[in-house]
Amino acid sequence: MSIFLNAILGQFLVIAVTVLATFAVTLIFKTSTTTNFAQGSIAALGCYVVADLLNKYKVPVYYGVLVGMVVGIGVGLVVDLVIFRKGRNVNAIGKQIITMGLVSVIFGGIPVIFGSPENIPFAPFYNYMELGAEPNFSFALGGGDIVISKNGLLNLGITALVITVIFLLLRYSKWGLGVRATASNEFTAELMGINTHMITAVSWSIAGALGVLAAAMYASSSAISPSFMTTIQVNAFLAAILGGFSTFYGPIIGAVLIPLAASLIGSLNSVLVSSGGSSSFDFARWSMIIVYALMLVAILIKPQGLFGKRIAKKV
Amino acid sequence: MAGLLKNDYLKAVAPRPPAGFTALSRLKKFFAQPANQFLILGALMLVLFLLNKINSNLVPSSIINAVATTFIYATVAIGFCLLLGYSGLASLGTAGFIGIGCYTGFYMMEQAGATYLVALLTALAISLALGIVVGFISLRIEGIYLAILTLGLSEILRNLLMALSSTIKISLANIKLFGVKVDDKQVFLLIVFMFVVLLILTGNLIKSPAGRAMLAMKNSTSAAQAMGISLMKYRLLAFVISTVYAAVGGLMYVMLIPNITTSTSQLFTLATSLNILAAVIIGGSKSLWGTLAGTFIIYGLNATVLNRIAFFSKNPAIIVIVTGLLLILVVMFYPGGLAQMVKGARAFIKRKAAAIRRRRYGDED
Repeated sequence: MSIFLNAILGQFLVIAVTVLATFAVTLIFKTSTTTNFAQGSIAALGCYVVADLLNKYKVPVYYGVLVGMVVGIGVGLVVDLVIFRKGRNVNAIGKQIITMGLVSVIFGGIPVIFGSPENIPFAPFYNYMELGAEPNFSFALGGGDIVISKNGLLNLGITALVITVIFLLLRYSKWGLGVRATASNEFTAELMGINTHMITAVSWSIAGALGVLAAAMYASSSAISPSFMTTIQVNAFLAAILGGFSTFYGPIIGAVLIPLAASLIGSLNSVLVSSGGSSSFDFARWSMIIVYALMLVAILIKPQGLFGKRIAKKV
Repeated sequence: MAGLLKNDYLKAVAPRPPAGFTALSRLKKFFAQPANQFLILGALMLVLFLLNKINSNLVPSSIINAVATTFIYATVAIGFCLLLGYSGLASLGTAGFIGIGCYTGFYMMEQAGATYLVALLTALAISLALGIVVGFISLRIEGIYLAILTLGLSEILRNLLMALSSTIKISLANIKLFGVKVDDKQVFLLIVFMFVVLLILTGNLIKSPAGRAMLAMKNSTSAAQAMGISLMKYRLLAFVISTVYAAVGGLMYVMLIPNITTSTSQLFTLATSLNILAAVIIGGSKSLWGTLAGTFIIYGLNATVLNRIAFFSKNPAIIVIVTGLLLILVVMFYPGGLAQMVKGARAFIKRKAAAIRRRRYGDED
């Protein structure tokens, strides 16, 4: 029992990061009808700025991350204004390829801007916040120790707050109404007097900012490099498909499910051992394969995603 | 009367006999055949190989290596070209399919001690089965969703490779063809041979009814179905071809670069799938020569040309940036890729030449 609980609680950081990345991907997909492959690399670019600010200029962590998010907003805006506004007639696959061209440009650009070292040491959020010497909360429960990482809890809290605010905005603000209208049909939304240019520009900047926030959080558990967000980004795409692109909450539930499922399956070995049995099958090694395979089956059964609605297609 | 009219009509539309059936026109006809063009490409590569063998200063081995790498990725890319350009199906699973080819080659040749031909046949069989599975998936899920789903499949295959073996390594002693051991130079010839054969096969397939059916399917699935084209048959075919080509590419890769660490190698990640996609788009998704040129720009240009220029060899990042910019510009302004640019340039020259002729000799009519 405690093993399962720990497996869940240990994933707080990854869940927080994946949720942010998934929301950014979904927002772009809904307003610009493309999957943004550059999401991860824009985030990495912002994270390099944050790392430089924190390590070289000793800026307090809040300001550092805020400046990084502003950079993310800037990059997102430039991408939308310079490329996507001009390339409206490009088809969906073309747009995907444009975003991967961006990946190339950013991958090449990072060493030019930030010098040759691949990994910039980046201390966790946690150290800067002075939350005490003990990195975890731990207590006994049901015959086992439960460990909760303070860093993970903190990041999950920030994510929950940010996502809640954005959901409220989507539900009640004029911008949110515009986003929902643009997502349902960009052309009609334009005819109805919605400034779709503005909507997509704001969406790209929000996606950029969320990406940098996610990257700054993830940097506490992984060394940063131009491609350090790739795994998260791939999971974000899959989570969005699993949850279904037609709602905003579906992808987020998908983003919570994938790391949880992987961690739970990975912990099966120690569960088997602790309950007296033994297993010859290494679950930890095969956990991602099992999760992806399960997800594939789920999508094949429900192609619109777990929470998606079937959309009738006019021929 | 009617007969007379018919005769006149036939006379008018009948192709005029060529003015002079000279050697030049015969040569032109020979070069117009795609299969002959591909054979000539193979012959040129043979010359390159011989020059390298005679004197390695003349053609350095790094160029041979770059050409081989280009051909390997181009094999994958022409399979993908058939999938994207002719059938209109987007897939991001290429890297995983390459991985399957790599692992099969490694397992059969290194661990089971099989010959190259047996390994090739096994790789074909496995990738065929995989292609059929993906083809069935594509009947249910379309567009961007399909792309992301195949990305998931590719991740499964990558994780599978990592779980199966930490390194993929073939010692040259274990590459056997018809009972003869092949050295690393002859691997190049093998790659060229495989590539040219696949190129000719693909060129013929495009011109065949199956190729036309795929093109119809791309333009409108509903219209194609109304014309009696079985969506299932041709989608399966398209996916089978692209997976098989990718697996063959993987098999060739593992022979050329025989030591891959599965967990750190970039070969099995999204980056490879995207690069293949980029190669096909830059080159022109409906042209085999264009695809080859696109692959060369992404995989071969660096080692053959740019590294010899001091500026680029000092700033390798610039090359990556330029590739990215090129990709964006091509998609935004030349959706047909390099093939369209060449076509446009040719038409431009023809127009200009006609204008000059008119100015000099007056209107012909």
